[in-house]
Order: sequence, then C-alpha cells, then structure tokens
Amino acid sequence: MEKILSDKKAIFLFVFPAFLVFLVIVLLPIFFSFYYSLLKWDGFSKGVFIGLQNYKNLFINNTDGFIISVKNSFILAVLSVFIQLPISLLLALILSRGIKGEKFYRTVYFIPVILSTVVIGQLWMKIYNPNYGLLNFILTKIGLQSLTNQWLGNTKTALGAVFVPILWQYIGYHMLLMYASAKSIPTDIYEAAKIDGATESQIAFRITIPLMKPILKVCVIFAVIGSFKAFDLIYVLTNGGPLHASEVPSTLMYNMIFFRYQYGYGSAMAIFIILESLIGTIIIQKLFGKDEAY
Amino acid sequence: MKRFKKVMLVVLSLLLILSASACGTSSNNSNASNSSKSSGSSEKITLTYWNIFTGEPAKTKVKEIIDQWNKENPNVQIVESVTENDAYKTKIKTAIAANEAPDIFQTWAGGFSQPFVEAGKVLQLDSYLNDGTKDQMLPGALDNVTYDGKIYGITYDQQASVLYVNKELFDKYNVKIPTTFSELIDAIKTFKSKGITPFALGEKDEWPGMWYYDMIALREGGVQLTRDALNGKTSFDNQAFIDAAQKLQEMVDAGAFDPGFMGLTRDEATAEFNQGKAAMYFGGNFDAAAFDSDPSSLVKGKIEAVRFPSIEGGKGDPTEYIGGGAGALMVSANSKHKDEAVKAAKYLAKHLSDMEYLIGAGLPMFKYDNVDQSQVSQLQIQIMNNVVANAKGNVPAWDLYLMGDDAQTHKDLVAQLFAKQITPQEFAKQMQQKVNGK
Repeated sequence: MEKILSDKKAIFLFVFPAFLVFLVIVLLPIFFSFYYSLLKWDGFSKGVFIGLQNYKNLFINNTDGFIISVKNSFILAVLSVFIQLPISLLLALILSRGIKGEKFYRTVYFIPVILSTVVIGQLWMKIYNPNYGLLNFILTKIGLQSLTNQWLGNTKTALGAVFVPILWQYIGYHMLLMYASAKSIPTDIYEAAKIDGATESQIAFRITIPLMKPILKVCVIFAVIGSFKAFDLIYVLTNGGPLHASEVPSTLMYNMIFFRYQYGYGSAMAIFIILESLIGTIIIQKLFGKDEAY
Repeated sequence: MKRFKKVMLVVLSLLLILSASACGTSSNNSNASNSSKSSGSSEKITLTYWNIFTGEPAKTKVKEIIDQWNKENPNVQIVESVTENDAYKTKIKTAIAANEAPDIFQTWAGGFSQPFVEAGKVLQLDSYLNDGTKDQMLPGALDNVTYDGKIYGITYDQQASVLYVNKELFDKYNVKIPTTFSELIDAIKTFKSKGITPFALGEKDEWPGMWYYDMIALREGGVQLTRDALNGKTSFDNQAFIDAAQKLQEMVDAGAFDPGFMGLTRDEATAEFNQGKAAMYFGGNFDAAAFDSDPSSLVKGKIEAVRFPSIEGGKGDPTEYIGGGAGALMVSANSKHKDEAVKAAKYLAKHLSDMEYLIGAGLPMFKYDNVDQSQVSQLQIQIMNNVVANAKGNVPAWDLYLMGDDAQTHKDLVAQLFAKQITPQEFAKQMQQKVNGK
C-alpha cells in the first residue's frame, strides 16, 4: 500500500479519471457561467460584453427582489440549523441508545429523503389546499376555524408554508448521518461513564455530542448550503409566488434565464449562489475549529 | 467470484456497444434529413419539414397527410422530422441562427417568429397566397403572421378565449348567463351568496389570470388600440387600460375567485370546475378537452361555451376575442425550392387545420365545411359558432405577442392587480415604463 501511494504515476492514474469528470461537469460550467455573467445575452443571439454590470444590478437599485430572495434563503438556513438539526440530533441520540424497534423508526424517518421531491411537493400541495386540504380540515374539526388559511396563496404564509416540508424532508437525512456517528462511538466509554454514575443526559451532552462534533459540522454545512441553493420543493409548491413572496435566489435565477431570457443576468445569480456557498462553508469550518480526532 | 466478474465484464461491454451504436444510428438519421435537401437531384426534389407532433393521434395523422402528398407528387417528396415541443423551440432558434433551417418549419405567430422575420430568414409569402389560398382561410387568419404589412407564414390553428358556464348551476340558482359586465358582477354576487365559487382560477401559473386582464382590456380598448400598444405605437398609460385594470379589481372585490386562488395551479382550477364546484371558467379553447373528454369530468355535457360579456362604454366590439392564429408554417428564405416548398406548406396547413379540429387539438384556421362535424366534440363546435364565427377581430394573448422578459413583466403586473398590490393607474404606468419605455 505504502509503495503504491508513493508512486506518482499510480496516483495520477487513479486520480486523473475522476478529476477529468469533475473538470468537465463541475469546474468548466462554473467558468462558463462566470463568463456568461459578464454578458448581456438572451441565450440566442450574440452576447454583448458589459463587465460587472449584471452584478451591480443584483445589489444596486434592484427591482426584481433579489435581495429579498437572498434574505429568504438566509431565514431558511437559520431555521435549518436551529430547528431541523436539533430535531435530527434528538432522534439520532434516542435511536442510537438501542430502543425497541430501532431499525423500524430509522427506516420510517428516512422515507421522506428517498421520496422524489416532486411527490413530496404534490403531497404538501394537497395538505395545504384551501378547499379540501388536510390542514384546514383538521383546524376546522378541532374548532380552530379562525386559523384556517390559504397557506400557499397568501403572501404572508407562503414562505413559512414552503419551509415546513423542506425542513421536514431532510430531518431523516441528518438523523442518519448523526445516528451512524453516534453508533461508532466505542461502547466501553459508555460503560465507564455508567460505572461512574453518569445519567443519560450527562452521557449525551458530555460524551456523545462532543464526540460527534466532526459529523455535526458536516451536517451544519450541508444544511446551510442546502438552504442557499434550495430550489426543487419551492419550485413545485409555489414557484416563488405568490407575488414573489417565497422567492429564493435559485427560483429567481431559473425564472430569469428560462422565462425572461436574461442568460447573463441569471448567470450572475448562479455565480453569486456558488460564492455564497463557498464563503458559508469556510465560515462554518472556522467556527467549529480544527477537527479533533478521538 | 471470478466467473461473476467475467460475466459482468461481458454484460458491461455489451451495454457499451449497444449505447454507442444507439448514438450512431440516431446521428445517421439526422444527417440523412439534413443532407437530403442538398442531395436532391434535378428531377426529384426533397423538402424537409420540421414539426412538433410527437403525441398520438396527431403523429399518425400527420404521417398520413405527408404520405398522401408524397403519393400524389412523386417528384416532390416531403420528409418530416418530429421534435418534442419544448426542445423544438430551442432547436428551431439555433437552426435559423445557423442558416440551417429546413424548407418548411413549424413556428408560432406573433412574437416568437418576429426575430426570424426581422433577421430576413423567412420567405415573404404575399405573392404566393393570392391564388385562392386566402379565400380558403377564415377571416383574419393571417393577421398574426403579418409583420410590417407583409405576410410571412400560413397559420393552421388558432386559439380563442372562451367563457365556460356550468349550465346546471346557472339553472339551479336561476341565474342568467351574463352578456354584459354588470350582469356578470350580479351573477358573481349571486353565486358567492349561495356558497359557490363563481370563477375557478389558478393564478399560481400567472398566465391564466393574464387572460382575464387581456380580455377585459380588449373589450375596453378594442383590437386596434390594443395592437398599437403592444407594438409600442401607443402608450399603455391609456384610460382604456386603466379602466380594464379597474374592472378586473371589481371582479376580485365582488368575490369572483376562491380565497386561495393566488396559490392554486391551473390544473387545480380546471379540476374544481370539472367537479362542478365552480360556476364559470374563463380560459382558452385548449381548456375544453379537460371538461369534455376527461373521464373524471362530472360536468360533461352540462357546459356551454360563450363569449366573455360586453362592457358598457367599452370601445371594443363585443365579438372580439383573445386568440387568433397560433400555430403556423413558414418557409425558409434559404430554401432551394421555394415554389414547391410554399405549395407543400399550403397543402400541409390546410390538412393540419382539418386534422386538429377533428381530433380536438385546436380550432381550425381554414374553412372547415369538408370536416365531418359529427366527429367533432360538441364543445369545439360551440366555440366555433359562439365565439369565433362572425367575430370582428382578435388579439393574441399578450404573452404570445410580447415574449420573454416583457411577457413575464406583464404577467407579474397582472398578478399584482389580482392581489390588489397596485392600483389600476400604477399598473398602466408600469406597463408603459417597463414594456414600451425600454
């Protein structure tokens, strides 16, 4: 093994195919998008080079709601980290303690992750439907008629209504990551803690969670970046509407490119999302500090 | 284990060969259709024709139409190439930009074809159509393919705005089918008070609501003013367009729509009407299939298709409608066999018009006396008789006319009208600023 790893040719041989794929489907399109973002281009005729004008339009005197859409994606990121991840962590901790039906619950919580987003979108559209939707139906039945709403059709509730399924869908995903990490902690540590008289909550907060730090960092990064580039469920549920109330940068970008034929301006949004995600990752890395191996 | 690996290796290599050969054949095909134009020898001409009829039964019918022509004209053979609608729109734009357009191509009237015409890539047809072709077509059939006073295409189907009313509900609550706007408001109020949704509308998709505004604007302003504004020759900041916006908000105030209509899709709205839960649906002829042929429809046979009511004091003629020529055929300016291509395009357009009417895919643009009316759905016939026949004129839905950025802006502004986020005055002002003022 040592021998192979020190052989430069072997390294090249193994790494090159993957690098080539990465280059062609990830890096090159990013560079192309960056080039497009400097053009005024309708995707069809010849583009005109306008420098950084598209980026200026994103932030200065912006009229298409880009800044609000960025704000919305930040709200989603905060909700993901402070609502979604704690729920996942709680479920992971409970399941990893070996309760009855562990495998069953693990599978159930993971089901939303497997389902296609379009299916989940349709499902929640039915739940939110103002006429026959489950949510309004239940509210009426338990006497809270005054709380019924046109969840996706009301500019005040649409954003929140869209966030609920997004958060719900990925609870299982983060739970599985954390569960795997919790399970990999050696059991003799727990035994020692029990002999010393530690309670379950002490074990969780003093042993399990600190030892899970590396995976928690990964989860936070996934949650934040996932929020920055969230698209599919929002597209299915509201398409950014009504009246752009639930717009996020990626839905706005899609609209800009495919309906308004502003490829240059849309590409500038794409580049912004990439930069935002990169910077977000770096900041989170810094906040968590260095990886400590255990 | 070793054996398993060997088997897998064989399977994988087979897959690779299969996929490689699959790619190979398809590229051969497209080569054949491209080169056929240039390889046509002096006595035998091959015309390429690109269309979008990927779905049945249209696909087979189009094949029959082409086979018929090829049998009758052994020296002029039509070769078709079929592409799915959305992909086609990209394909034809690219082909035209690269001067590789086929002899005859599928396109759409109004804004979609405007760049092609302006770039000089489309054959001008005026001199070809005076052989009686115009007389075979319905009045105004070529309006939407006329650019700067010259005709560049042959339309073969059209859209028409239709007010669908559920007659069962109208009879039950003893409401008169509205013919004027004040009657419409009365009808809305009556249904609302009985707990029935007056209009099913899915405004999440934005274009269904736009049809309402465009229709009312046509009643207020008339064909000429509307077309002038859309062409940038006159301002949208005009009393007629302000009044139209106000009328739209009057409908909203009267409770014409479901409380949640801003978040519903068009499919959810047509489903509501289909279940007999809404009294009226305003949309296009293309909605008829959902009410008439959908097996889950509870309102089949109970629907009447009528004109949108007239508006008191409006300058538009009450027979005018939103729609008009939509699907069209154009001939490439680079075609080597222009005369033959135009002749074939005329033949195709006439037969496509008949075919679409027969299978309920679109309203005819050619006179249709030869079509067996007993084969056509009742609702289609009603639309032709009640809306299209004897109409004084039409304007396409504005998103077809404006295209791209401007179309989206228009739809956004109408959505804001529906939500009462802007006043009619602001609406008209912003339309002018953002669409014509650029």
